Amino acid sequence: MEHYSLKINGNVYETDAEPFESLLDVLREKLRLTGSKKGCDEGECGSCTVLLDGKPVLSCILLVSDVREKEVLTIEGLPQGGEPHPIQVEMTERGGIQCGYCTPGIIMSAYALLQENPRPSEDEIRFAIAGNICRCTGYNKIVEALQAAAGTPIR
Amino acid sequence: MAQPEQVTSAAQSGPYDWIGTSVPKVDALDKALGVTQYVGDMQMPGMLHARIRWSGVPHAVIRGIDTSDAEKVPGVRAVLTAGDIPGVNRYGLAVQDQRVLADDKVRSAADPVALVAAETEQAAEEAINKIKLDLEPLRPVLSIEDALDPTAPAIHEGGNLFARTTVRKGDLDQGVRDSDVIVEETYRTHLMDHMAMETESSLAYMDPTGVLTIITSTQYPYRDRRQIAPALNLSMNKVRVVQAPIGGGFGRKDDITSEIHAGLLALKTQRPVRLIYTRQDSLIANTKRHPMLLKFRTGARSDGRLTFVDADIYGDTGAYLSLGAFVIKKAGIHACGPYDVPNIRVDTHTLYTNNLSSGAMRGFGVLQAAVAHESQMDQLAHRLGISPIDIRLINTLKPGLATGTGQVMDEGCGIEATVLRIKEYMESHDLRFARS
Repeated sequence: MEHYSLKINGNVYETDAEPFESLLDVLREKLRLTGSKKGCDEGECGSCTVLLDGKPVLSCILLVSDVREKEVLTIEGLPQGGEPHPIQVEMTERGGIQCGYCTPGIIMSAYALLQENPRPSEDEIRFAIAGNICRCTGYNKIVEALQAAAGTPIR
Repeated sequence: MAQPEQVTSAAQSGPYDWIGTSVPKVDALDKALGVTQYVGDMQMPGMLHARIRWSGVPHAVIRGIDTSDAEKVPGVRAVLTAGDIPGVNRYGLAVQDQRVLADDKVRSAADPVALVAAETEQAAEEAINKIKLDLEPLRPVLSIEDALDPTAPAIHEGGNLFARTTVRKGDLDQGVRDSDVIVEETYRTHLMDHMAMETESSLAYMDPTGVLTIITSTQYPYRDRRQIAPALNLSMNKVRVVQAPIGGGFGRKDDITSEIHAGLLALKTQRPVRLIYTRQDSLIANTKRHPMLLKFRTGARSDGRLTFVDADIYGDTGAYLSLGAFVIKKAGIHACGPYDVPNIRVDTHTLYTNNLSSGAMRGFGVLQAAVAHESQMDQLAHRLGISPIDIRLINTLKPGLATGTGQVMDEGCGIEATVLRIKEYMESHDLRFARS
């Protein structure tokens, strides 16, 4: 076991963990930040997407020992002042959510996109969430929700 | 948010005002915020982590299971095999052909043979890998053809043909005589995993009043309880199944998955036990979409009118039935598609094999049938020089016409309107069929 001070959602979390543990397992099991989901645990499905220094990463294939001195943002850190982020609101209201298991990962990928590119095209949105698998929606409602959140026209 | 208020006012003004109104799912915002608690998000004080050792061999006699090294792994609290089951070691949705843990024989590579509960997931993982299986391989039945072979070993008592269903309408010989063209083809569909984003998971614990409580990702808590209680030798009122939010089901969570195993470990250890399938567990075990072999002979007159369908559909339900006989029967019921066919002979055959078992999956047998009947329509159109759209319009079921099983269509029959919309769309977008 080693000791880690992790900067997550603007707070510092102190925890002991094995260096080989994934960031996802530490978030979920040790810090109880369970919004990031485990769908495959091998970097295929995107359910565990979090931001590391502003870039979307797969926390299931990232070792906790690799995130020292970095800023982690998870789904729990997205609301501001108790209000859901516009992506979260639009996903809720436009049918972008069914079972909800892929949702936090999709929202984090979308948030990373909008930070870099506030007015993305539909193609850019689809590319940004290409690493996030959803088995319920067929993606169109998700894309519409993200277009609404970005304030771009919905086809 | 404005939308929920709008919904309330719509509901107040009349029962049908919901139609055409966008209604946000009641639980969607929690999911967007990441606060919804799926089973894997839950922990309890003193909770153990469970893993399953699968057989890895499709068909074998079990000579022995050596758990001694597994029991020595630090942190391991229970290693269980079939002998540890307090009740009836049988369950299943339609027939009780599944073992909680394999006893006499291994019938598929996804048979669970042992369970481990440990203080950490790593210890549980290490322990299942230290369980030594002594298996004497039997001749496996790995295809529909194998299952039909009279010399093949019987996987269960009663043989490998579980059920046969028939659909009959009109006079097949007359249909053949009326035909100007007959297309005869064989189709195969493959096994498919639902790949729900959340894997199978259960959290089981004894509540303070002695009720075994199982929080689980399931589609049917009461059907689960009916199968859990006899296996654990508990009366029904001593088992409580709580349906957690489900990260996707699509039919695969119809069946018992992790529930009995988690419950058994909680009962034996008297501690909360969380069992979450890894993605690999989920791919190996639990039901899939049925692979089918569909032999079709379809006739039509030169004007495109269908004359008969003569078909045999063979479904591979794998080592266990699950809902297989119902899925495969349904493929037979839908074998003629949404078309008016005057003369029909369709037989379905539900077969056991040593493959992974299949059960409910969205579409429930209808998709496999569609592969065959729609391919037949395209072939007939090609042979007759009619467009694929037109041959469908000539034959679609319309109000007043009956399906092969005698259901008379009413005004709710929308297939003709659907095909016309497709035709309109293709014409307005300059789309053509490759072969017409």
